[in-house]
Parts: sequence; structure tokens; C-alpha cells
Amino acid sequence: MKSTRVSGGGLLAAILLAVFALLFADVQDAQAEYGDVVINNYSDKAGMRPVVFPHWFHRIRFRCKVCHADLGFKFKAGGNEINMVKIIDGQFCGACHNGDIAWSVENCNLCHSGKPNTPTQVHESTIQKLAIPAGPAKK
Amino acid sequence: MKARYFATLLASAALFSVPALAQQSGKDVYSKVCATCHATGLAGAPRYGNAADWNARAGGGVGRFYQSALQGTAKGMPAKGGHMTLSDGEVKGAVDYMLAAVKDGLKLGKAEEAAPAKAETKPEPKPEPKKAEAKPAPTPAPAPAPAQQSPVAASAPAAIAAAAAAAPSGGDVNAFNRMLKPAGKRNLPPPEDGIHDPTVDGTHALQPPLAAFGTLPKSFAGNRVNWVEALDKNKISPRADRQDPNAVPVVMDLNVVREVKGSMPDVVYPHKQHTEWLDCSNCHPAIFNPQKGSNVISMAAILLGEKCGVCHGKVAFPVSECRLCHSKKKEMPAATAQGK
Repeated sequence: MKSTRVSGGGLLAAILLAVFALLFADVQDAQAEYGDVVINNYSDKAGMRPVVFPHWFHRIRFRCKVCHADLGFKFKAGGNEINMVKIIDGQFCGACHNGDIAWSVENCNLCHSGKPNTPTQVHESTIQKLAIPAGPAKK
Repeated sequence: MKARYFATLLASAALFSVPALAQQSGKDVYSKVCATCHATGLAGAPRYGNAADWNARAGGGVGRFYQSALQGTAKGMPAKGGHMTLSDGEVKGAVDYMLAAVKDGLKLGKAEEAAPAKAETKPEPKPEPKKAEAKPAPTPAPAPAPAQQSPVAASAPAAIAAAAAAAPSGGDVNAFNRMLKPAGKRNLPPPEDGIHDPTVDGTHALQPPLAAFGTLPKSFAGNRVNWVEALDKNKISPRADRQDPNAVPVVMDLNVVREVKGSMPDVVYPHKQHTEWLDCSNCHPAIFNPQKGSNVISMAAILLGEKCGVCHGKVAFPVSECRLCHSKKKEMPAATAQGK
């Protein structure tokens, strides 16, 4: 135990902080809008903030079927394995976020605006309240 | 004069001996609780016996250390080290114990260094260094007495404040409906919602939900917007096609009644409201077999995000709104109605 003082200390601190961040920032402080989806499949690893997708904003403008049937979004947070290549190629978000129907991909921070290390999940969902995700980020 | 001083000392000793019995010493508390971080400097905690660590934080004097220990700090010190069962005196005793270890190298800030803070803790810890400091106390004759009583008197509000800080709602611990999200915490703008990073410009460019919800019909759950009614009354006009604003959805008007167990009203499933938003292929056949009676659905499955729970409890109204689905009253000859 004593020997870990120097090298292990930083690691332990990081783990502790992550746990604290999850416990406090995530569960208690988070007052996210119902249906907000955080997508953090690749963002953290790439040094980018995770994406926050606001369902409420989009359902005012589109019926569910436009994304979930026509564009092929699965009903699963993080389940579509979206990356920027696909978006620029016109798939998923890129079907609209192309500068034509909606603003295009150079507005990085409008989507990538989540707090770092926020795990992939549908916020305020029943399942989120029943089962708190075990690990920090990425699934 | 001298006799009187001893009398006060004795009286105060008697006063504090009772609670002191039940209390753990500063050293005990330190080794059980504080040492987790303060022995190694975990998470940036000032290390036990490292005068430099403590000097860097000594600007506010002992009082400031007590406050940090009791109420926690933004840097990561949890209130009372996360052990809310400790009394204020025990926490202060532990602080004293840690400060005693760096006493020689410690240069406390002037602010609260003098009489009140030191005198206050005199009875709590059993340790060594306090005796020396207690001596100057009698000189300002009447002052020490109230100061010595202050731990009891002052600890009560401090404990309440600390407990309140730990309560999820941040208010009264025994507040009514303390687990419910208070009205002021609903539909927060992105910078305050806990998942957006407020340090990014993008977060501040986003529309706050309430700016959009103002004119929409209300509900009691989810976004607190009745989306179906909003669509019905043309308060919103979401496109049915990505590009064509005039495309109309294929709406199917067919109610399916599901008989359910017990006294709960049967479920009426309206295709109409669902097909306003969704395509047949969204549900059929992956989630629901398009054959009446062939789908096994339970509330447990829905709660876990299956069947209806693929949407209800995530984006569509959650299961708290029982009667929106369970809406067809059974004709029940009271006691005999069972099963099904």
C-alpha cells in the first residue's frame, strides 16, 4: 500500500474523482431534459466532448419516423455507431446536418457540447433511474 | 480570581465530559476516516505531517480548516469526510490532530487564530498540544465562557447546514416530496442541465427547452409537454419527410384492446396517435408481432426498456402516467374478477 503512494496515488485519485463525478455530477446534479441522449462511443477517446442529442428539439421539427425509419436510426442510445465520416458522407445526422436542411458539420461544439466523461445514455429515462451505469463513459 | 478560574474550568470539564465519553478522539477519527486521503494526499488532500501542504491552506486560520472539514470544499473534500454521522466535535478533533502534526511548521492566518477557535476545541481531543494554548485563555476573563459553550450551541446549526448540503434537494432534510424534482429544476437551459459543458460556446448557442415549450400544451411527466395534443392542435408541425414539408404521414386508426390482469383497467392501444409519429416498420415486426394476442408484454419489460418501453420512459410519456394506457375500465362484479 505504501509503495503505491507515488505512482498509484494519481491513478487512485482519478478513479475516485470519476466515481465522485458519476455519483454526484451525474445522478444528483444532472437535471437534463427528458430524452436528451448523450453519445460517447468515440468522443472521449478522440479528445472531443461527447455529443448531446436533444430529442425534444428534433421532435418539434420532425416526426419520429423521419430519423428512426427513413434514416435508419436504431432505438438504442449509442447503438448506431455514428462517426464523423458517416455524417460527412450524408448518413445519420449528416442526412440533414449538411448545410441544406440544417446547419452543417463545421459547428462542432453545437453537438459536441457534453461534459467530458458523461456515459452514453438516454437522460432522465426510466432505465437510467433504475440502473445506474457501472463504468465511466463508453459502452 | 484563581479559584474562580479553576471553578469555571472544572464546570466546563464536567459539561463536556459527558458527550466526550461517546466521542471518538481526533486520532481515532483520523485513522478511520481522514487517513484515506490525508495520509497519501489522495485527490490533492493536504498530507498528514506535511507542513507545506497545510501552510498553503492556512490563510484562514483554524476556523477555516474547521469549516472546510465540516462543510466540504469545492476541491473535493466531502463534508465531514463523507461521514455525516460524525459529530462536529469529532471532526474538529480530527482537524486538530492533523494540525498538531504540523504544528511546528504551521503559520496560521491571523484571522481566527486567536482565542475563540482554539478555546472552542479544547475539550474535544485528548491530545498533547492544546494544553499550552489553553493557558492564555483566562486573561480575557469573561470571554472564554461563552466561547467554550459555543461548540454545543454552534454545532447544531452547522450540522443542519451540513446535512442540508448533503440532501439531494439542497433544502430542508425533511422537506415534503424531497425526492421529486422541484419545479425550479425542470426544463433547465443547457448550461445548467448538468450534461452540457458550460465552458463551451456551443452550449450557450443552444435553445433552452422552455423557450420552445412556452406555447405547447402541458403534461405532468417527461418534458412536461403533451406532445400528442401539441400535434393534434397544430401547435407543432413536424415534418413527415426529411425534405418535403408537405408530406403527410400514413395514419392508421385502429384501437387494440389488451386485457390485463387484476383490477387494473385494460390497455387501449391507439394506432392513430402512434402512426402520426411513427412508421409501421418502427414497431413491426421487431418489437411487436403484428398479430393480436401474440405479444407477451409486462410492466417489468417496459420498465427495462423493452416493448412499449423502447420509447415510453425514454422519449414518449413515462410509465408513471398509468391511466394514459390503462384507460378502459373493466366491468367488475367486485370480488370475483380475477386473472386474465
